[in-house]
Amino acid sequence: MTTTLYHGEPNGPSLTVLAALFEKGADATLERIDLAAGERHSARVPHAMEVDHAIEGEGPILVVDGIPMADSVFLACYLDDVGSGPPLRPGAPYDRWRMMTWCRYIVERVAPAASYLGVESSPPARVPEDIASVDLAQRWSDAVAGRIDETRLADSRTKIVQAIERIEQELGDGRDWLIDDFSIADLESYAWLAGMQTIVPEAFADRPRTAAWLARVKARPSVARALATATGPAPERVWAPGPEINRWG
Amino acid sequence: MAETASVTLYHWEPNANSGKPMLTLFEKGVTFESHYLDLLNFDQHKPGYLAINPLGTIPAMTHGDLVLTESTAIMEYVDEAFAGPRLMPDSPVDAWRVRWWMKFMDQWLAPSFSMIGWSIFVGPSVRSRDPAELDAAIERIPLPERRVAWRKAISGSFSAEEMAESQRRVAVGIGLLEQALGQREWLASDSYSLADINGFNLAYALPLSQPHLSNDELTPNIMRWLRAIYARPATKSCWALGRTDMARRVTILEGEPA
Repeated sequence: MTTTLYHGEPNGPSLTVLAALFEKGADATLERIDLAAGERHSARVPHAMEVDHAIEGEGPILVVDGIPMADSVFLACYLDDVGSGPPLRPGAPYDRWRMMTWCRYIVERVAPAASYLGVESSPPARVPEDIASVDLAQRWSDAVAGRIDETRLADSRTKIVQAIERIEQELGDGRDWLIDDFSIADLESYAWLAGMQTIVPEAFADRPRTAAWLARVKARPSVARALATATGPAPERVWAPGPEINRWG
Repeated sequence: MAETASVTLYHWEPNANSGKPMLTLFEKGVTFESHYLDLLNFDQHKPGYLAINPLGTIPAMTHGDLVLTESTAIMEYVDEAFAGPRLMPDSPVDAWRVRWWMKFMDQWLAPSFSMIGWSIFVGPSVRSRDPAELDAAIERIPLPERRVAWRKAISGSFSAEEMAESQRRVAVGIGLLEQALGQREWLASDSYSLADINGFNLAYALPLSQPHLSNDELTPNIMRWLRAIYARPATKSCWALGRTDMARRVTILEGEPA
């Protein structure tokens, strides 16, 4: 089996998948691509409908025996299945349901808000050519042109505040991790929220349990190793258009 | 939770989110108590149901004293917690593809179908009621985004632009489904899976609702796939729980290829 991971700077979905790979000790060739420059749409990266139409927007691509796969949570599930390291998902069906619903909340509500705020704060320079998804192309041109909707911006900040409130509440019983043992839920949540500390600082004020959790995730060898793949000084400030904000509001 | 603990599913029609766990339970052969909620009568926002699921979203499932929400996550739970045929493929790549398709449908394609469905079906169905009563019903909805959605559906205020975008996505989504089903027998793998159950709930009425985009000439693989799922005994049992004309649209699949 040959595996190649095309990843961007260790922030957002690239951070999740890099850290999951290292947690599981899975064997893969790492190929760095510049997601913020739109390199995912170039001929350098293998294409498939699942990459071109990934709901996640700009994220890493894992190619296994020629099959290109996208979407960080599901790539982490895949790595959990094939890697030998400790499990990244709980064993009991109900606890797995808890983890999957938590991840769904992060990818559906938090990730769109974080990437909206992220590209507003660090807009990409130009719209890449050959974007297959019409709606992703629209998010790129909006981001490059600075067409930012104030209502969406405010709502995105609220979503980040609510996410940190939820994490603080989840950890209220003194748990170290969001579900039980360390899991994909911790990785995916950290990956989208770490960069929000400078953009929405008020969300993190007086949240001691969240602060300790962020430090715990960051201190994991897998996360430290993922962060060490950065090519710039502040990977948490590197953003590219992500999932869209829910069209139903 | 012991597999034998009792299961109750709170659901609306065998359609979209309600139908996903319903059909999964039937495929697994799990005996469950069916608790029908009339979405158009706002049963899901009444105190009895809010005591089960405070968010007021449908469906919800109880298994013993556990309460589960979010239809796709419930499907994975049902597959893992009960005996019966496995509905997630053994191959990790195929399992990834099942999850990829379910997310693509849940978060991209289904919202476009439902925007069209709500504007032509749900909105008109409830619009004729007393405005004050409707307003009070909407105010009882716990999730702010669902309040916005209901107001838009009832007032018919989806913009022409939003509706055109939904129609564009439906066309693109049909193309991608046809492409995938041209590559393999089932949507995400060579065995029947949760992705097919999810997809059928989204697409079973396609030849009726989008006849210009999905029919035996244009999308033979989608038609083959829908008929194969409709022929399964679990599907028949599941759709028998439908009470409205919406669920009865499934009979379009009784026809043979033209």
